[in-house]
Amino acid sequence: MLLANVPFVVALFEYPFLRYALITGVIMGGITPLIGSFVVIRRLSFIADTLSHFSLAGLSIGLFLINIIGFTFISDPLYLAMVFSVIGALFIEILRGYYQNYKEISMPIVMSLGTALSALFISLSGGFNSSIYNYLFGSILTVGDRYLVVISVTAVILVGLVLLFYKEMVIISFDEQYAKLLGIKVNRFQFVSTIILAIVVSLSIATVGVLLVSSLMIIPVAAAMKVGKSFKNTLTIAIVFSETSIIGGLWLSYELNIASGATIVLVNVLILGLVGFFKRFFINKRLKDNQLKIQAK
Amino acid sequence: MRVAVSNLTFGYDYRTVLKDISFRLNSGDFLAIIGNNGSGKSTLVKCILGINKVPSGRISLDDIDITEYHNFKNVGYVPQKFDEFNYEFPITVNEILQVSKYSKVTEDEKLELLDKIGILEIQNENINNLSGGQLQRVFIVRSLMNNPKLLILDEPTVGVDAQNVENFYQTVNELNAEGITIMLITHNIRESNAKFTHMLSLHNGEALFKEVPRGDEE
Repeated sequence: MLLANVPFVVALFEYPFLRYALITGVIMGGITPLIGSFVVIRRLSFIADTLSHFSLAGLSIGLFLINIIGFTFISDPLYLAMVFSVIGALFIEILRGYYQNYKEISMPIVMSLGTALSALFISLSGGFNSSIYNYLFGSILTVGDRYLVVISVTAVILVGLVLLFYKEMVIISFDEQYAKLLGIKVNRFQFVSTIILAIVVSLSIATVGVLLVSSLMIIPVAAAMKVGKSFKNTLTIAIVFSETSIIGGLWLSYELNIASGATIVLVNVLILGLVGFFKRFFINKRLKDNQLKIQAK
Repeated sequence: MRVAVSNLTFGYDYRTVLKDISFRLNSGDFLAIIGNNGSGKSTLVKCILGINKVPSGRISLDDIDITEYHNFKNVGYVPQKFDEFNYEFPITVNEILQVSKYSKVTEDEKLELLDKIGILEIQNENINNLSGGQLQRVFIVRSLMNNPKLLILDEPTVGVDAQNVENFYQTVNELNAEGITIMLITHNIRESNAKFTHMLSLHNGEALFKEVPRGDEE
């Protein structure tokens, strides 16, 4: 990046692509931990990685269709990535039903299929090139206004659904069996949330890339659950951590002229490390005392 | 609530866990289900809750076959060691007990329940800070959030200290006295001061069902 002779804030006013990057990042930073929390509680942390690898198959097939076959009407392979992410999610749900007692088996199966298809179509498209590299590691600076619209619509739908069905989602995530007894349509809820998850995963590819998607969704939640007092409080903290890593990561990557996706993820991991450190050395004893006080009530 | 189980047989894959089990409970009865580990106690209640699909035999709640029963809200269930619950993620007692369109109680009635079971003071605490006995009572309150007519408790006092076990059964006895049918899976029947009316002992998948004099004199 050759812009670094002006400060980040000034550059934001001068360059629209930087503004798009920041706005996209801030929206993703809000919705990924929101959906990520429910994913973590259901112990599906690997699902984001699996779906992002399956999206990569969509991306490489897209590149193959556009560059080799000449299907130029597919304007952006990211749309195919979205479709593949949803297909991957459906595969996972089918396999989870098939292996009732070994549900996690579904993840490596779908992930392998996605990775194999990706490798096949990348080689058919003439091997590795810079656009594949961008999809693997993210290229938030190339996000355009059209993509921003897709992300905004998804964010509005996701936030709307969470607000509408918050209680049901909490009951299902924490205790599926109890939710069924209450008469909540658990399968229907899970189906819808998996589809939305798939769309969010494929959208985050533009921000941090296929290989780093799950970090956006999982790491802020992993840090927040160590210090959160309640479910809502943990959600809020996770979103604050996530936004800090996105804005901080973008700023650092601009100032130091380094890869944006990687910087965002590294800031995320740094926050996780700091939370662990402070909890271990400054908060743990107070928490223990507090716990004893509560148990004496 | 009336519970009728007739000729229930159930197995996992090639292993038969329950063989030809039949019994009948009336409203306000208190059944203790006893048996060794793996004797099929939890399997039996999961059949009654409709969690396990029953291949052979018939189960009815208030004379309605459970395959056609759509109102499990009338059944309160406290699972064994809350094994189905996802821990560690921070959530408060109140967040677990959210009054929703799926619960029959109002916010005020919920507070009354919390007070009655003795956990009103900890309603805003993270459940990961609670003791085993406190957590137990949280799940009892949750199972009562729908004013159940049948309450199923699966080894509810594992890991709870003696004083709290006594308090717990006192509460269960009171609920039973209000007319709620109770099914209690227990490991050690002598340990509890619960006032049973019936006993079902499971051994190698076979059941012995008998009426017992209610332990009022104790």
